[in-house]
Amino acid sequence: MTDRIEPSMIVAHDVDKVYPNGCHALKKVSLSINSGEVVVIIGPSGSGKSTFLRTLNQLETISAGSIRIDGVSLTDRKTNINLVREEVGMVFQSFNLFPHKTALENVMLAPLKVRKLRKDQVRESARELMYRVGLSERMDSYPSQLSGGQQQRVAIARALAMKPKIMLFDEPTSALDPEMVGEVLDVMKSLAAEGMTMVVVTHEMGFAKEVADRVVFMEEGELVTENTPEAFFENTENERLQRFLGQVL
Amino acid sequence: MTVERRVITVEPDQGGEPFVVKKFDNIEINDGDLVFEGDVIAGVESIELGPLAWGLLMTLKLSVVSLIFALFIGLFTGLARISANPALKNLAITYIELVRGTPLLVQIFIFYFFIGTVLDLDRFTAGVAALSVFTGAYIAEIVRSGIQSIAPGQMEAARSLGMTYVQAMTNVILPQAFKRTLPPMAGQFINLIKDSSLVSVISITDLSKAGREVVNSTFAPFEVWFTVALLYLVLTGLLSWLVQRLEKRLSASD
Repeated sequence: MTDRIEPSMIVAHDVDKVYPNGCHALKKVSLSINSGEVVVIIGPSGSGKSTFLRTLNQLETISAGSIRIDGVSLTDRKTNINLVREEVGMVFQSFNLFPHKTALENVMLAPLKVRKLRKDQVRESARELMYRVGLSERMDSYPSQLSGGQQQRVAIARALAMKPKIMLFDEPTSALDPEMVGEVLDVMKSLAAEGMTMVVVTHEMGFAKEVADRVVFMEEGELVTENTPEAFFENTENERLQRFLGQVL
Repeated sequence: MTVERRVITVEPDQGGEPFVVKKFDNIEINDGDLVFEGDVIAGVESIELGPLAWGLLMTLKLSVVSLIFALFIGLFTGLARISANPALKNLAITYIELVRGTPLLVQIFIFYFFIGTVLDLDRFTAGVAALSVFTGAYIAEIVRSGIQSIAPGQMEAARSLGMTYVQAMTNVILPQAFKRTLPPMAGQFINLIKDSSLVSVISITDLSKAGREVVNSTFAPFEVWFTVALLYLVLTGLLSWLVQRLEKRLSASD
């Protein structure tokens, strides 16, 4: 699985995270993800899967171990984390759109301020992205005027506007009404089909089966097992995974 | 002398050049009058500000200048207050506690009689300094609570897009906090206008001191003090109205 010769996009090695209050959130988690791969992380709540995802763009710092993104070490003091984050897009459970800006302005903000591109150029590509996520009609709406599914699609467009090499999804459909889950998953599927490197924390087992190249199971801060979706969901050896799948499927 | 088409010509008896007056509003003499040296022949009308109007202008100037400084002090102290740097944070807390824990009147005396004497400040500068340092501490707390009321996810989203802390603050957090803090800010600005009356104790002729002076010379406390109160009300009312309009304009995204 962890092919050492092939260059990996993400290499996490023995990642440990201990919160100041003593909570041991991650215990020696190692995972490497190749370019273009779609990895889905599942596990019960409190298993550390979101925490692990957030260490990949250093929204959470780690206590021990190492993480390399596209060859750049995140634990190296000399690394400019902002430059790494420009290449790693993130989509949040609660969308976190900027409420004081319209949908289009949300998408335009980072390319304007971080990449310092010309405004007409940024507007043009932002329009294309809004079209791509199926929201060309709602560009001038404020987030409060959009449904949850629409907001999450704007959030995906906002992350894509930086033209990242990796996309992280932190339970992107968990805060959505059931009828809106599909529209967001469709955008994610088309993204996967285009060869984007994706790490997805989700409870959508259907998505994992259909889109993932690999499925990872985490519990109590440990990476318990990982496999291709076919083998993963047929797994009968691992007792902890069996118990979890028995509860959710 | 002759008065013809708004021009007065005075011809001296002993001969010599006639004296011509062209600019005037009212004439005190008639055509052909005999005038002597020192006589009033015409007058110019103009509106001059009375003591209360001058006082009002001084209060306005004090408030506006102090407000600008207080906003800067408040913004930076508020940011320092939530900074991860312990030195910066403790400095901000100390400043806020010192200022909020002592009366403004005492601070004005300290600024004028001690700091003002040492640094050779004039009354106005000392008054502005005292008012802005005092108001700045309150604004700092408003700024802090405003920033902390924004969901942490906003900062995370901004940082995840590669923005620096400063970029995230200026583009994402502060614009939202600004909108949320407008109502308490308006209250603080109104307090500043009213607090500015205290600087009359260091002989700055603001609206309150002007009122006292007019009462001393006219013995009409009723009319004067009600006028003074009304003028303060006009200033604070105008400010409230402006802030309310701003709030309405910013509510487009709600």
